Amino acid sequence: MATSTPSLPVVFTTKTQYPLPSQKFMVPATWKRYQLSQLVNKALDLTKVVPFDFLVCGDLLRASLGEWAAEKGVGEEETLEIEYIESVLPPQRISELPHEEWVSAISCAVQGIFLTASYDGSVRAFDYSQELRHTALVHSAPITALCTVPNASASEDHLIATSSHDLTARLTSMTLPSDPSTSSTSHTLASLHLHTAPLSSIAANKAGTHLLTASWDALIGVWDTKVPDADEVPREPRATKRRRVGGEDDGVKRKAPAAVLKSHTARVSAVAFDNAGDAVSCGFDSTVRLWDVDSGVCSHTISASEKPFLALALASPTTALAASTDRTTTLYDIRAPATVASALSFAHPATPVALAMSRGPGAQQFVSGAYDGGVRLWDLRSPSREIARMQVKDAKKVLGVDWAAGVVGIAGEGGVELWRVGEEAK
Amino acid sequence: MPVPSSSKKRKQTAAQETDSSDADELPQVGLDMLSDEEAEEDGLPHSDEEQVDEFPEIDAASDSEEDSDALEAEEDEDEEDEDEEDEEDGSGSGSSSEGDLHIFPRAKTIISDITGQEKKVYPDIEPDYDSDSSTEDAPNRVGNIPMHWYDDLPHVGYSIDGKKVLKPARGDELDKFLQTVEDPTAWTSAFDKNTQMDKPLTSEELDIIRRLQAHENPDAAYNPYEPTVEWFTGKGKEEIMPLSSAPEPKRRWVPSKWEKQKVMKIVRAIRQGRILPSKPKTTSAQQQFYAIWNEEPSAHAPPLPAPKPRLPTHAESYNPPEEYLPTDEERKAWEDTEKEDRERDYLPQKYGSLRLVPAYGQFIQQRFGRQLDLYLAPRIQRPKLNIDPDSLVPKLPSPNSLRPFPSYRSLRFSHTKGRVRSISVSPDGAWVVSADEQGIVSLWEVIIGREVKRWTMGEKVGAVEWCPRTDVSFFVVATEEMLHFLIPPNLPHAVLTATQLLLAPPTLPPALPVPSPVKWTNSSAISSEKPILSVELPKSSGVPKQIAWHRKGDYFATVSNAEGQGGVWIHQMSRRHSQAPFRKVKGSVQLVLFHPSKPQFFVATQRYVRLYNLAEQKLLKTLMPGIRWISSMDVHPSGDHLIVGGYDRKLCWFDLELSEKPYKIMRYHSRAIRSLQFHPTYPLFASSSDDGSIQVFHARVYNDLMTDPLIVPLKILRGHEVQEGLGVLQVKWVPKQPWLVSAGADSNVLVWCH
Repeated sequence: MATSTPSLPVVFTTKTQYPLPSQKFMVPATWKRYQLSQLVNKALDLTKVVPFDFLVCGDLLRASLGEWAAEKGVGEEETLEIEYIESVLPPQRISELPHEEWVSAISCAVQGIFLTASYDGSVRAFDYSQELRHTALVHSAPITALCTVPNASASEDHLIATSSHDLTARLTSMTLPSDPSTSSTSHTLASLHLHTAPLSSIAANKAGTHLLTASWDALIGVWDTKVPDADEVPREPRATKRRRVGGEDDGVKRKAPAAVLKSHTARVSAVAFDNAGDAVSCGFDSTVRLWDVDSGVCSHTISASEKPFLALALASPTTALAASTDRTTTLYDIRAPATVASALSFAHPATPVALAMSRGPGAQQFVSGAYDGGVRLWDLRSPSREIARMQVKDAKKVLGVDWAAGVVGIAGEGGVELWRVGEEAK
Repeated sequence: MPVPSSSKKRKQTAAQETDSSDADELPQVGLDMLSDEEAEEDGLPHSDEEQVDEFPEIDAASDSEEDSDALEAEEDEDEEDEDEEDEEDGSGSGSSSEGDLHIFPRAKTIISDITGQEKKVYPDIEPDYDSDSSTEDAPNRVGNIPMHWYDDLPHVGYSIDGKKVLKPARGDELDKFLQTVEDPTAWTSAFDKNTQMDKPLTSEELDIIRRLQAHENPDAAYNPYEPTVEWFTGKGKEEIMPLSSAPEPKRRWVPSKWEKQKVMKIVRAIRQGRILPSKPKTTSAQQQFYAIWNEEPSAHAPPLPAPKPRLPTHAESYNPPEEYLPTDEERKAWEDTEKEDRERDYLPQKYGSLRLVPAYGQFIQQRFGRQLDLYLAPRIQRPKLNIDPDSLVPKLPSPNSLRPFPSYRSLRFSHTKGRVRSISVSPDGAWVVSADEQGIVSLWEVIIGREVKRWTMGEKVGAVEWCPRTDVSFFVVATEEMLHFLIPPNLPHAVLTATQLLLAPPTLPPALPVPSPVKWTNSSAISSEKPILSVELPKSSGVPKQIAWHRKGDYFATVSNAEGQGGVWIHQMSRRHSQAPFRKVKGSVQLVLFHPSKPQFFVATQRYVRLYNLAEQKLLKTLMPGIRWISSMDVHPSGDHLIVGGYDRKLCWFDLELSEKPYKIMRYHSRAIRSLQFHPTYPLFASSSDDGSIQVFHARVYNDLMTDPLIVPLKILRGHEVQEGLGVLQVKWVPKQPWLVSAGADSNVLVWCH
């Protein structure tokens, strides 16, 4: 340590599984991420080298420590608290899943399968070898959102909920045998009738018992996932040919909502279940609302100023990320009593329209897709700068992202791209 | 003749002396001195006794006209007198050896008994008050030395004989006190250092002390109020003696020839009559007085007093402190500025001494400038306007405080080719319909930009417009002589049926008795690809270039290029009827608009905007924007304000309550304005131009009639390319959101978000 270069006193903290004893280090100011990572690895005596990234006061360290200190005007005597996180390897594009139409949503929730919802009304299933396993024409109008209803019973049968411009959401059962040679089948079970405007979002709870649909008509529908035996909503007169789906309607049961959540004053753009079973929604009326689903009341409202929200993702049991048209993604504390919680803001160069949180316990990273074709990987602790950026081909619009098992699926104008991000696929 | 008072006084005292005692000893002062005055009178011969014999003889025959010469001579002599007197004074005070001063008696010259030579013997000096104090019989002869030298010694000095003078015995303080009590003169006695004992003060000394205390002259004999001595005036004191001994000049008694010539000249002139010896006295010879008070006082303001020059500062000193000296940059800057613009007209310069200061270099210029100033510019007050340029700029709020407004391009929707002439945003703010010149009408979501449906008209589309009603949902597309009614897909059942009932009612309303050249026809089969209703405008009316809906959605007006009657049509949805509101229109109608709240109708021709009352069918107002060719127009949602844009780049804001002339004219686009629109809910309006830019303004209108509308430019949005001289052809606001949709000639439709 006896160098002529100035040294900075630092203290390392972490939330990873590799904690260092609380101890002050004198670190040369010329050190960068690599040296710091080596230091942590040596200090911990790790057998397998784990690369780390370092957050200095919420800033991701890119240059040397001395440069950072000079830029922020931090003196040499001040002890810097550096948090280290496991480094994310630069994302790599794995493959593309070609689509002829725009893809509005992608789901990586089912192990081994990517489900995409497209503007031609079809739900497609791809396996990990990027082979199209199944195409199901579910809607006659563009599908806006897709979610899988968790189903513990059979591993090959998947219940898929889709929301569409045709004012309905549909429950589709898709059987994808593990053997690729056997043909897969799909069957639309029920259509959910409530909304009088196109639907924007659909979400299922963890247990797979309930669905939420959000629509442009400012309503949120709460549905159970049981398929009724008979139509709960009367069929409309056949004079309108618009209701038909590909000519055959047989077997599709018309389902009525279990409850309707009314409080939004404009389009509800996204809705989600949180872990406690409450619903979180955001909309064009610049509010993020927390709903008690059982009683159907809005239990908490966060009013932002002139931020029409476009997308929502739950970051933790108490916080939610919401992307708005003013090119920011904001982290809100949805359980805080204050109406406007002081919020972290992640600035984008274009409109962010899709958000996906990393699915791990205590995950701190999320990806956001924007209209400039960039999908950015952020750490919640470092709002000033993204960690990594994935650029879609031809800078086409990104409409949906999903992140599971180290793979980020990006759905957009130009089809679907798959990127490997972060932890190894297990 | 000025006589120094000291010498005069001395003379006086001397005179007194002689008067009292030594008259016989004064050899030449043998005059009777009966009074003070006479004694003083005597002083003159005393002082001037030497000069008496020098006086020249006085010629009694001397002319009076030569008095001046004599006086001059006298004056000369006076000066000499004074000089002599001064010498006299100096010698008189310095030594008594000369003996010719009157205050000391003359020495007698006797033959010395010893030497046999002549010897001067002085009379004894009578020691009295006036005599020198050194002659007093003082026992101690040490002189005027500090007496503390003898403090340690038993004696205080030496007598004239060289004997020690012992200190007198002095008692202690008690003795002193007792002495003061016993001795009544103790308070008038003072300690004499020389004798080391108390001496009583004499009465003269006490008198001096008293006079000093009273601030009087200590000399008791001094009389400050002596009567004036008339030395030379009065009877018998005239100066009759000539003052100069110079011989009488000849001119004094020889008559002057020159004068004689002069006189003879005058005499001859008088004889010849050239000179009138006594001019006749005329009235004009009387003194003329100028009556300064008779004139009316001038109404003009009195001339301004000259401004006071500023006091010089350190910088103007010839030797200013170093910090006042200009640096090289300052000197250069000063030299580079124009003379009129200089803050001060000099540069501080430092000279070691005043001697080194050169002549003022600008002297001639300054003098010339002053003369010029006096000659050309009488002193007038030029009011100099010290206006801060920033203060002329109107105080506008910062755009950041007026958020939200569209600030960035969120997405782009591209038509394959062809200029996008017309766009319309659905009343719920979710859909945009855009039509290009190729006849392709696209319906797409505002925030996703995904085309949901496309209709191909096959011919140029002039205008599209959504019906403002919310219970039905359809829009109108104007093509060549046709209006097509299209229903967007994915409508809820109730809205769809209501729309279909409105557009294709099962029972047609009864036809009006007046036949109309406009035909309303429903398509035979209901199909989403084809228009459900078409309205056929009269032949050769061309492509309607504007569709304007009434806010209730029952009426709409179309404007096409046709001359005369066929230009403007008002269509009524419920009665499926069209009518031309104007029988004859002056000029070609460019645009029409329905008033948002009143039954009024704006019609813009090429140069004027006319406001008609539709119910009463009469012209209310003609607005004169002063634009050569009106291109666009929109009315504020309150209905009281109108903006009109022109191809000559002007934008006029009309306050309809106020005047027929524009309240404000703005010219900020570099090319023709193509489109204008007020936001229906936010206080915003936008204008698009052929220069490819869109300008967004904050336009707050107050209900208070006294407050003028506040117009603040907010943002210039650039993103459209200019193609063939055409830029942004239309802008439309998204209702309920501060978003803007713009259609350009580059076949792109852009959505701008805040």
